Order: sequence, then C-alpha cells, then structure tokens
Amino acid sequence: MKKAEMITGVVLLILSGLVIWGALEMPPSATFGPGAGFLPFWLGVLLAVLATILFVSAWRSQATEKDSEPVFPGKQALFAIAAVLGGLAVYILLIDVLGYLVDTFLFVVFLVKVVERGPWPLTLKLAAATTAGLFITFHILLKITLPSNMFGF
Amino acid sequence: MDIFHNIILGFQVASSWENILFCFIGVLIGTLIGVLPGIGPTTGIAILIPVTFGMSATTAIITLAGIYYGAMYGGSTTSILINLPGESASVMTMLDGYQMAKKGRSGPALGMAALASFIAGTFALIMLTLIAPPLASYAVSFGPPEYFALTFMGLTLVSALGGDAPLKAYISAVLGLLVACIGIDAISGVARFTFDNMYLLDGVGFIGMAIGLFAVSEILVNIEEPIKQVFSDAKLGFLSLFPNLQDWKDSFGALWRGSLLGFFIGTLPGSGATLCSFIAYAVEKKVSKHPEKFGTGVIEGVAAPEGANNAAAGGAMVPLLTLGIPSGGATAVMLGALMIHGLRPGPMLFSTNPEFVWGLIASMYIGNVFLVILNMPLIGIWVKLLKVPYKVLMPLILTIAATGIFATDNNVFDMWVMFFFGLVGYVMRKLDFPAAPMVLALVIGRLVEMSLRQSLTISHGSISIFFTRPISGVLTVIALLSLFAPLLRIIWIRYKAGKATA
Repeated sequence: MKKAEMITGVVLLILSGLVIWGALEMPPSATFGPGAGFLPFWLGVLLAVLATILFVSAWRSQATEKDSEPVFPGKQALFAIAAVLGGLAVYILLIDVLGYLVDTFLFVVFLVKVVERGPWPLTLKLAAATTAGLFITFHILLKITLPSNMFGF
Repeated sequence: MDIFHNIILGFQVASSWENILFCFIGVLIGTLIGVLPGIGPTTGIAILIPVTFGMSATTAIITLAGIYYGAMYGGSTTSILINLPGESASVMTMLDGYQMAKKGRSGPALGMAALASFIAGTFALIMLTLIAPPLASYAVSFGPPEYFALTFMGLTLVSALGGDAPLKAYISAVLGLLVACIGIDAISGVARFTFDNMYLLDGVGFIGMAIGLFAVSEILVNIEEPIKQVFSDAKLGFLSLFPNLQDWKDSFGALWRGSLLGFFIGTLPGSGATLCSFIAYAVEKKVSKHPEKFGTGVIEGVAAPEGANNAAAGGAMVPLLTLGIPSGGATAVMLGALMIHGLRPGPMLFSTNPEFVWGLIASMYIGNVFLVILNMPLIGIWVKLLKVPYKVLMPLILTIAATGIFATDNNVFDMWVMFFFGLVGYVMRKLDFPAAPMVLALVIGRLVEMSLRQSLTISHGSISIFFTRPISGVLTVIALLSLFAPLLRIIWIRYKAGKATA
C-alpha cells in the first residue's frame, strides 16, 4: 500500500500540473468576476497540495505487514479482470458492426464461458435469455432504437 | 392545515394505478438487490435509471426511491440467515441476528427486522413530512453565497464522514469537481478540457460515470474475490416470524432510539445508512443493562440497526428534497436522476412541483406497507433466491448497465465513459479511495461553480462574503471544521501521547 500510495501521489501531482497549465491557457474573464479558468486553476492547486500530503505521509509512514501484501491480485484474478474489461471494450467496439442482438449474445457467452467457466448448456441458455430480456425491455417496451448491423438486426 | 392538504394531494398522486404499480416494482427490485450479495442499492439505482426514462418524473423517482429503501429491508435477510450482509447498512444486523438464527430464533429475528424497519421507516416519513416544508420555505431566501457554502459543506461532510481516510475522500471530491468542469463553461462559453472531442462539449455523462464507478468496479472486485455461496435451509412458517411479547419489551427502547438517531444523523450530508446503523448499535450497547449479552443473539441488537438504517433512508430525503444536496452515493445518484427528468432539486421544488414532492413522500408510506408484506409472508422466496449463482448475475448486471447507458443518449461514447470510470473505480477501490465524494462532486459541481463565481462577482472578488452573511457564515464554518477535523484529531492524539510520556 505504501508504494502504491506514493505512486498515486506522483500521478496526481502530474495531473494537477496539467490541470493548472490547462486552466492558465483559458481566456480571462471578458467582464468582471472570475473567468472560465478560475475554478479549474484553484482545484489544480488544491489537488497538488493534497497529492503532496498523500505522497509525503505515505513516504514517511512505517512499512507495516499489510504493506508486504500486494495491492493488486495475483495472475489468475488479474486475467479474469482483464478478460471482463477486454470483453467489454470489444463489445462496445463491435456493437455498431454486429448489431445489438448478435453482439450482446456473444458478450454473455464470453462472460459465462470464458470468464466464469460455466458449462455450455447454461451458457447458451443464459445468453439467449439475457439478450431476449433486454431486447424486449429496451426495444419493445421502452421503444429505444438499439444499434443494428448491415442486415438490419 | 396545510400539511393535511399536501398529504392528501400526495396520496392522490401516489395512488394512481401506475404509481402504485411502479412503487411496488421499485420496492420489489430493492428487496431483491438487498438480498443478493454483490449488488448494492447505489449500483441498482444507477443501472436502472435509464429504464425509467419513458416514465413521468414522479413515477420514475417513486420507483428509484423504492429501490433505495427497499434494499434496506432486504439486506437484513441474508445478514440473519447466512451471516453475510446483502448490503453494507446491514453489517451490524449480523452480530446478533445470526446468533439468534443459530439458536433457532431466525423467525423472530427476521420478523423484528422487517417490523423495526417498518416502524422506523414510517416514523422517519412522518418527520420528513413535518420538517421538510418549513426547511424548504426557509431555504428559498438562499442566494449564491448560501448555496456555495451549502454545497461546500456537503462535499466536506461527505468526505470527512464517509470513511476512515478523509485525505483520499478529499482527493476523490476534487477529482469529481474537475470532471464537472469538463465541457462548455455555462458563464463564458469557453470549452474546457474537451480535447477537441465533440461528445465532451456537453460534459461527462453522469450516468456513465456513476455506473462505471459503482457497478462495473463492483463486478471487477467480485470477480477477483469470488463471493462465497452459502445456503440456508431454515424452515420459516409465517407465524414463526412474529416476535413475542418479551421481544417487543426488550426492543421498545432500541426502536425509538434507533428511529430518532437514524433520522437525524441520516439528514446530515455524508452520514448514510451504514454509519447510522453502527451508531445505533453502539448506543444501544451503551445504554443496555446487559451490554455483555450483545453479540450473543439479543433482539435489541437487531431492532436498533435495522430501525436506524431505514430511518436514515427517510432522513436522507430531507436535504435531497429541500436543498438539493444528497447525503451519500445512493442519494447522489437519485439527484442525478431528478435532474435528468427535468426537475431542479432545491427549495423551490416544494412550490413549483408539489405533486412530485408529496406524491413521492406519500408513495414511501405505501411502499413501506408493501415491504412488510413482501418481507414477512414471502420471505421463503427471497431465501431461495440466494441460490442464484454470481455466474448468472454478473453478465446480467453488466449487460443491463451497458444497454441502459446506450439508451440514455443513443450514443456509444457514453459506453466508453462507463468503461473508463469502471477501470478508475476499480483502482480506487483497491487503493481505498471512496467513490461517493467523486459522484457527488460531479452531480453538484455545476452548482458549486456557478454559486462560487456569482458570489465572487457580487463581492468584487472578496471571499469575506461567505463569512459575513449569517447562514453562509455558519455553513462555511461547519465545512471548515469538518475539513480540518482529521488534522485536529491528529494534533489531539499527539498532545495526549506527549502528556502521557511527560
């Protein structure tokens, strides 16, 4: 945790620098009173102060037993998380290409089969039920136009 | 009497078949969310906001509020039966509730949890009915300095009370305010931090951020540490649920103390139902004649926290409806929903949309009755639902969230916002940064900035305006005190440690 907090402090400090720079680039107020860059500038300053406190207090703190434990999980869990996020990214990327129905069906198959390692019959049943349920709720009941593929579904 | 007139208006609105139906659906989903570990009320409300778009504003918020207080009822069931809290406000109920279940008294424990929830929830609604209108009419005279002081106080209190790491909560709030700055500045028309992306001109979508921070990150954490599946084979007859006379005698004090504490602490920004249930349990232990028995299965230990968390759900509606200031994550998400439905939360709400405010309050009375019915005779069904594996739940939550996000504005960019904040939320959870201050800051960020800049324009740049006006002065001082409270505590501990060694 100690190391992670020090890294967080540095990252936030860099971010605050970018924010302050961005705020100073904004045009000054045309009338009297604070302009567009006023709040971002002071938020940037505040963030820099808080990030410095976080860094310094993490740096000065004694390493405890909890610190020797890694903050982020082992390989297997990390793979599962990467799979969910990666699957979600692919889902979003392909939704306009494959259409809502196909894309959602494949996404649920991926989540149940690859991430949760469920058996095939359950996977297919769940994917069909989830896709149908969502399509009925959002498209038929709520009348929302969901993305469709070149074949129109 | 004005109040009777208003309440009758409220019940007229709430008793339309549509509102009754959606109130029922709301509390039903709320109970479900409360029972299922791995999905909390904030996540539930966030992912279901898009589903409410087709409804009128009143019906939509009645449904969402039902999810919120319904979850408080449902959470106790799993705490008592399998020693696993369905959501965080039910953690204290485990201590004595599960011990009672082990002794074969799960019936009275569940019954008391439901009845205590009903009594305290109804008490809180009566208090809300009485307190909210005068508070709102008082707040109508608020100008920009008062609003800035109020939002500032809301942010500092949420951060200071929200967890055990105030510094991280402040960082979270500042980041949220920065996210709120993204988009076209409402006063000068300058595009800020948009990186030439046209989707960012309107600002970062609140629903995408809330769903990412709460729902997606919750899924990622649950995948990392799989939820234990525990089943209960308790046989629960309807009559076994009723606590006996001795139970009522033992719980009487706990009930009214829990109700009062829950309501009043619940009105403070940042307190939340979880904190209220902790305090109520601690107080009950302190005033008890036999504190050593707490944790071995005494019924007061169930009545106090369950009463308090439901009263807190009612208390939280006070600042939300009268001032437009949410008290925590779940109410921040509800505030966002209000704005999406075109309502401007704040003191004027009572005079501009009385049918909305009173309809909502009346629906909560009705919802509480539904909840007792749902949670007593039907408890066996909820227990069976615990067998739904997370395999089934996880894809469902994720696809509902993604579809809902898309449905919000019919654009895929919002799905990327959800993706991004899902990742951010996961890292924040791992590093103990609370998400609630960030979401709250995004929701009220525009109000913070407008009121701050308007105030400084009025005062020609002098910050004394926040101190010299009486109401904003008091609020600003409270905000500053809570801001520096952690620092004062450290100094006090050092001082005491120094005295001990000297």
